[in-house]
Amino acid sequence: MDFYLGLAQVIGVHTLLGLSAYCVLLTGQVSLAQAAFFAVGAYVAAILTVIFKWHLFAALGVSAVVSGLTACAVGFPALRVKGLMLVVATLAFGEAVRLFFFNFTYQIQAGELKIGPHGAEGFRQIRYFPEHGWSTFDVLVFIWLMVAMVMACLWWLDQSRAGAVMRAVGEDEVAAHSSGINVTAVKVSAMTIGGVIAGIGGGIFAHYTTHIEHVQFGVILATFAIAYPILGGLSNVFGTLLAVIFIQGFLIEGLRFLGDWRNLLFGALIVLAMNLRPRGFLDSGGVASLKRMLFARKESSGA
Amino acid sequence: MLDLQGIAKHFGGVHAVDGVDLTVKRGEILGLIGPNGSGKSTIVNLVSGLFPLTSGRILFDGDDISDLPSHARVGLGIARTFQNIRLFGQLSVWQNLWVAQNSRLQRQEIFFKRWFGGSAGVQAEIERTLEFFDLAHKRDELAANLSFGEQRRLEFARAISARPSLLLLDEPAAGMNAEEVDQLDARIRKMRDDGFTVLLIEHHVELVMSVADRIAVLNFGRKIAEGSPAAVQDDVAVREAYLGTR
Repeated sequence: MDFYLGLAQVIGVHTLLGLSAYCVLLTGQVSLAQAAFFAVGAYVAAILTVIFKWHLFAALGVSAVVSGLTACAVGFPALRVKGLMLVVATLAFGEAVRLFFFNFTYQIQAGELKIGPHGAEGFRQIRYFPEHGWSTFDVLVFIWLMVAMVMACLWWLDQSRAGAVMRAVGEDEVAAHSSGINVTAVKVSAMTIGGVIAGIGGGIFAHYTTHIEHVQFGVILATFAIAYPILGGLSNVFGTLLAVIFIQGFLIEGLRFLGDWRNLLFGALIVLAMNLRPRGFLDSGGVASLKRMLFARKESSGA
Repeated sequence: MLDLQGIAKHFGGVHAVDGVDLTVKRGEILGLIGPNGSGKSTIVNLVSGLFPLTSGRILFDGDDISDLPSHARVGLGIARTFQNIRLFGQLSVWQNLWVAQNSRLQRQEIFFKRWFGGSAGVQAEIERTLEFFDLAHKRDELAANLSFGEQRRLEFARAISARPSLLLLDEPAAGMNAEEVDQLDARIRKMRDDGFTVLLIEHHVELVMSVADRIAVLNFGRKIAEGSPAAVQDDVAVREAYLGTR
């Protein structure tokens, strides 16, 4: 049972990470910096609860803000470049952040042990949940409440004019510019919102794993972050959730019994999935036919 | 209203626009014609702010707008269409107009309402624009799924929906059949009657001659003639530019 609770926690946190990339991808930017914002959120939240004994909610609030500000600051210079150059720029930023935490030591004496991040050894003993008597189940409920909240906010954003403008920028920047849209402002805003979401996700991640270190926030995590929304499709937020369940639940955990073959199959299945649904699991056509199906069923049951 | 003072744009050694003076008066339709590569589209791109000027100044209502970014120029009331249609294909017809409501809304509404709220006035306005361009029945269709003629109309509608005072039309009749050109002719006239000023760039000589109040002719990045349609048609330099010297 604990295994499934743990898996559900992983899926929840990775959904937050995927949604942070979803938001940036809507404006047509491929950012490999999401793992770095996630790392910033993780370290900030953990330092606040462990060293400064803050309440978790306050710590998550601050980690969201700090990650958001980081993303905003990165956004201005990074978003001047496009396409592959942006990928390279954000990748470089991500590595810089990871190497920063590789060298980052900030410890205080607490009784007999020293606590706090300790360079390459990472940050151990993030024991907020056990110390405050949260059971695994409580943590799970909390994670999914946060996921639901973020998804609701993004859903609402998507329906608003701001969401349409973000998609317009993603479609054609020149046309967006000529329609009176301040393209830079929109892209930096999307990056900032993505940073906020990644900060929340990272903060939660630090607390349920209880131990974070720099290697967790490398290129692999950044790749996963953008793979979720791309595989899931950009028509709405549920695509990202589906993709996380597919990758984390099915490909990583579900196929574990295959041993070494799993790694081979992992890549092959993603390629297959993208070939079967080139615009992602949930593209606009898929959503439309889903709506028709549900609508038709309602009509027939009403008749 | 729009005053181009000796504007030039050089791409490396190519002088695409080479010191053009041009004035568009409020309420008129100015046709801008010229052979391929004479710099017509470049002028639209300079006025709309897509490229920076190499030299010269652009005045709009007396203010120097040469250094403003594109979106700010739209805010002042300069909207454009593109020679090769540029729509937001994966957005619906309605959304294409919705996102273009920027400049108008910026002046009226508070931040939150502008980005997240819907206002009845704006919606009515969009509906009216769709009606005028005969697109109301397609409002929920994705722009990418429209026919060519509909896409041209939608782009025109998107430019209008920002309520500009000056409209830059970059070859709006390209690829249209005779019937569609007639409709376009009627719409452009209606725009002028509604108080818009239009800078019309067009290859379709019949359309320009019929609809424009004045015509300016470009050749190799320079203005070679300007005047009424009749005067321009009789101009020797214009005939040479189009037909060659005898």
